[in-house]
Amino acid sequence: MTTPRVSGTLETLSRGVRAVPSLRQGIGFTLFLAMFGASGRVVVPVVIQQAIDHGLNRSVRGTTQMVDVALVVKMCLGAAIYLMVASIAQRTAVSRLGQRSESALFDLRVKLFQHIHQLSLEDHNDEQRGSLVSRVTSDVETLSQFFSWGGLAYLLNGALMIIVAGVMLVYDWSLALLVIFISAPLVYVLRRVQAKLIAAYDASRLANADLLGNTAELVTGAETLHAYSAGAVFGARVKTSSKIRGDRQTKATLIGALLFPSGEIFGAIAVSAVVFVGLWRGSSSGLTAGALVGFIFLTYRFLEPIAELTEVLDQTQTAVSGMRRILGILSIPAGPPPAEFPIEVGHQPLDIKIDNVTFFYRPRDGEVRDENHAVLSHINCVIQFGTQVAIVGETGSGKTTLGRLLSRFSDPTVGVISIGGVPLNRISNESLREILVVVPQEPFLFSDTIAANLRFVIPQASDQNLIDAFTNVDLQDWFASLPAGLATMVGQRGSQLSAGERQLVALVRASLINPSILILDEATSSVDASTEVRLTRALDQLSKGRTTISIAHRLSTAARADRVLVLDSGLLVQDGSHDQLVDQPGLYSEMYKSWESSHNTAD
Amino acid sequence: MAGAAVFAICTVGSSWLLRWIIDEVVITRFDTNTFSLSQTLTAVGLLIGLSLIRACGVVVRRSFAGRAQWRTAQSLTDEVVDVIVKQPPQWHRQQSTGDLLTRAGVDVEASVAVMAPLPYASSVILMMAIAAVGLITTDTALGLAATAVFPALIALNVLYQRRVDKWFDIAQGELGVLSAAVHESFEGVTVVKAFGAENRETERLAIIASRVQNARIEAIRLRSLFEAALDFVPNLTNICLVVGGAYRVRSGDLSVGELASFIYMFTLLVFPLRLIGYALSEMPRSQAGFDRIQSLRKSPIVEDPRSLFTHGSSSLVLDSVSFGYDDTNILFQNVSASFTPQSFTAIVGYTGSGKSTFVQSLAGISPIFSGSVTTADQSISFVFQEPFLFGTSVRDNVCLGESFSDEDVDWALRIAEADFVQALPQGVDTVIGERGVGLSGGQRQRIALARAVIRRPSILILDDTTSALDPNTEVKVLRNIKSGLPKSMVIAVASRPSLIGMADQIMFFDQGSIHGPTTHVELLIQNESYRSLMQAYEEPQESEVDSK
Repeated sequence: MTTPRVSGTLETLSRGVRAVPSLRQGIGFTLFLAMFGASGRVVVPVVIQQAIDHGLNRSVRGTTQMVDVALVVKMCLGAAIYLMVASIAQRTAVSRLGQRSESALFDLRVKLFQHIHQLSLEDHNDEQRGSLVSRVTSDVETLSQFFSWGGLAYLLNGALMIIVAGVMLVYDWSLALLVIFISAPLVYVLRRVQAKLIAAYDASRLANADLLGNTAELVTGAETLHAYSAGAVFGARVKTSSKIRGDRQTKATLIGALLFPSGEIFGAIAVSAVVFVGLWRGSSSGLTAGALVGFIFLTYRFLEPIAELTEVLDQTQTAVSGMRRILGILSIPAGPPPAEFPIEVGHQPLDIKIDNVTFFYRPRDGEVRDENHAVLSHINCVIQFGTQVAIVGETGSGKTTLGRLLSRFSDPTVGVISIGGVPLNRISNESLREILVVVPQEPFLFSDTIAANLRFVIPQASDQNLIDAFTNVDLQDWFASLPAGLATMVGQRGSQLSAGERQLVALVRASLINPSILILDEATSSVDASTEVRLTRALDQLSKGRTTISIAHRLSTAARADRVLVLDSGLLVQDGSHDQLVDQPGLYSEMYKSWESSHNTAD
Repeated sequence: MAGAAVFAICTVGSSWLLRWIIDEVVITRFDTNTFSLSQTLTAVGLLIGLSLIRACGVVVRRSFAGRAQWRTAQSLTDEVVDVIVKQPPQWHRQQSTGDLLTRAGVDVEASVAVMAPLPYASSVILMMAIAAVGLITTDTALGLAATAVFPALIALNVLYQRRVDKWFDIAQGELGVLSAAVHESFEGVTVVKAFGAENRETERLAIIASRVQNARIEAIRLRSLFEAALDFVPNLTNICLVVGGAYRVRSGDLSVGELASFIYMFTLLVFPLRLIGYALSEMPRSQAGFDRIQSLRKSPIVEDPRSLFTHGSSSLVLDSVSFGYDDTNILFQNVSASFTPQSFTAIVGYTGSGKSTFVQSLAGISPIFSGSVTTADQSISFVFQEPFLFGTSVRDNVCLGESFSDEDVDWALRIAEADFVQALPQGVDTVIGERGVGLSGGQRQRIALARAVIRRPSILILDDTTSALDPNTEVKVLRNIKSGLPKSMVIAVASRPSLIGMADQIMFFDQGSIHGPTTHVELLIQNESYRSLMQAYEEPQESEVDSK
């Protein structure tokens, strides 16, 4: 079981270092400093040994002969200086490791931001957003935790154990081997207890998450619970999860309480063995009283780091799996790839050509692409500059996908979409986003002011530019009604505005770019009547002199368009003006009839 | 506490044992070169025995401390929950959600965090007292010198925790900012891509990430400094003890074994001292958490508006009621109206005219500030515009703490046109919400509707509850309610003509005044403002008529 995991771990680590080369910088010197720093920790036992053997030797209570105070003082002075230097070395090593790892992790974060922003929209769906966010936040955090605790423990304790083991071997190799031999099972026992402990803590973390989730519902759902007098029932639910959390935490504490005694008992056994063997062998084997006493102290020092080191092993696993998840994200190919030899396309009257376009979703791991289930197949169409086009179809007909391909949020699997004869994937991203603007179905607003949301598009725009933009799309009256004008805060995701008002802001934002092509993904939810009037007015203004392609959910939009494209199961089944299509037998006239009947007032 | 005492005594005992072993066993063995098996076995036996007792002490101490800590946490959480449940919505609106969650989560944990190291800390203090006496009686001068280092080390530890924690807290705060910004940036990725702003966004996030990084580096820098100092000071003290010890041994006041045990005892105390420092530095945080919980617990329970309703009339009667957001922000005064049983009233008006607040006051979810509300009984079901669903099964969401039969649940879901529930993986037992199946706005609204109708209330109030449904389904749902709950009075905030068309009477909210309840036709004739609102509703339809 261990072999594949270990190789996986090493591979992940080396891939990680390749992804963030700055991790490796200066690591050699840091290691050297750490070793030197750790050597400071054995100074005290060595000094005690030396003092007993050479300074205080054979001094028995009541006799004063042979106590060489001057030698002891000299040794201690030397030791104090060594200690100071070692402390500085250790401090530098810790600080260096921390700084290097933090700046490497910063690099990693920026790399992730960049990469994730470039992932295609398919990789950005609602279910995956949480995990994308946690890649950049909590997964990078586990690495940071690792470097500031686990990595540090490896560095300091590892160095300490090596130095102590070395010194012990120099003192008396057979006693040293004895200590190492006795300590080996401790590693096993500690691992067992720790595995149990981690399982117990995981269980209590889950219970804690439950508790927090239930409390959050109790608080955010307070109005509903009050309206249905259900507070007591849900309050009891929180209390139950609080009890479970408490019980599990208590259990974890109990298991944790076993960790210390294991170390303690092994320590006692190891020291006892050293004492017994040391005494039994006596001075005939070259052992001195001082060496034996020093050895006892060294044994304690040798065992100290074992507990911490084994504890760190699990943190290592956590960090490695965090790293693995991060590398997983980095290995997802970026969305539509940037053009290799980008072509600039200027603001000219340009036609759009959709040439034999077919689209399949990229199969997920282990899935086989089903050739019979193309989202779009063999779409051919030319859209003249300045045309108002509406794409209609039922849910799942492929109209949203066609909108995405036209916006170059994805590339067609087969076929080419071109603007003014240049394929979309050869146009530089900057110039594409200047000539073509997308207004999404649920226009996203940042939790900031109206002005900041507009400047998101053109950072250097002046206040007057922004106000003019409202006037240009006939929204000056709405602008005047905003409580703080440009400084009005829109709230999270624009929640201070109604859905319709968010669309108004999105239209103003799009108008700032002054694109030749406008792609509108119509909202499905209803908008209150006065905003609806404003939206229609703003859209009329905005579509003047441009090609407008609406992914239409409301057939009133289709009725106003110059040309209607009707999609059915990924096929372009009808193409013509509303007036032509509405009287033709076919999907469009059916859709229109049922839509019309549901929109009549009253019964 | 018994465990703590055992631990303290054994720890000090083990250093005395060490002294005896060095003085009487080791030195004697090497000086006289004779091996005494019995003495050696006694030494080894005592070493192991003592550590066994010490280990047991630790287990007992820690398990009791753990139990006490989490029992306390549980009762604190219960108290917070009781307050949250008892307070009515108007109190909740004045609290921040995050704040309340902090009380129940972080504050409770902080309050009890200090309890875990407490028995240990007390055992360390006991140990220090015994050790100090031991050190001083062994050698007064050296003992005094060594014990003087303890308070200094504790102070250094407390200072360390406070200084370093400050930076870790800053880093934690910045990390929160970063998470929020990252979430927002990824959520708005369509906009980011639509305007080619990928690089600008990366730069913006990098600036926040660099603040996290800087705070961390500062914390690490400080920590490395303190760690080195905390290692250096006891080590240096040890060396000084060797020097001092050498003088005392020469003068014959101290044996080598006593010196070694002296140093061992000192070393033993260094690590526990760090924990005392930790406990001391945690104290203010614990206190602050505990104080926040207490202030929440002592906050007066606001009166439930529903408890002020009078009963007796079969109609819903408002008598010169004033309502609004709060008592300084009253929207309407002296509103009197009467709704007869089985009537269907549509509440119509422009956005922000106070319709929602009005219907919430009718349901006792928002307070009224004067006047009286009389109803037949308590049975009012209110459906919010943005329904709140709990992260549990559809069934639990519909029943919401009461028990209803399967038939009732099916019936309610049918009335609400929530047939999509049958298609969910486990039907009505499918878990929905954050940790379950995601639902669309319209699906959420229909489950919330089922929750209201299953109670067969005498008054059903809908706050624009069908806004996310398509007009076809909306009409179906309202027809189902009319036929399924023939005895219920329905009051619905309406934003679509189809719903207005179904109502018996309309209440029209205009800037600052309320008209009706009266009929649609009456309002069209009499009220200019109502007419123009109705025209605005009709407009999208007119454009179709034009194009035909």
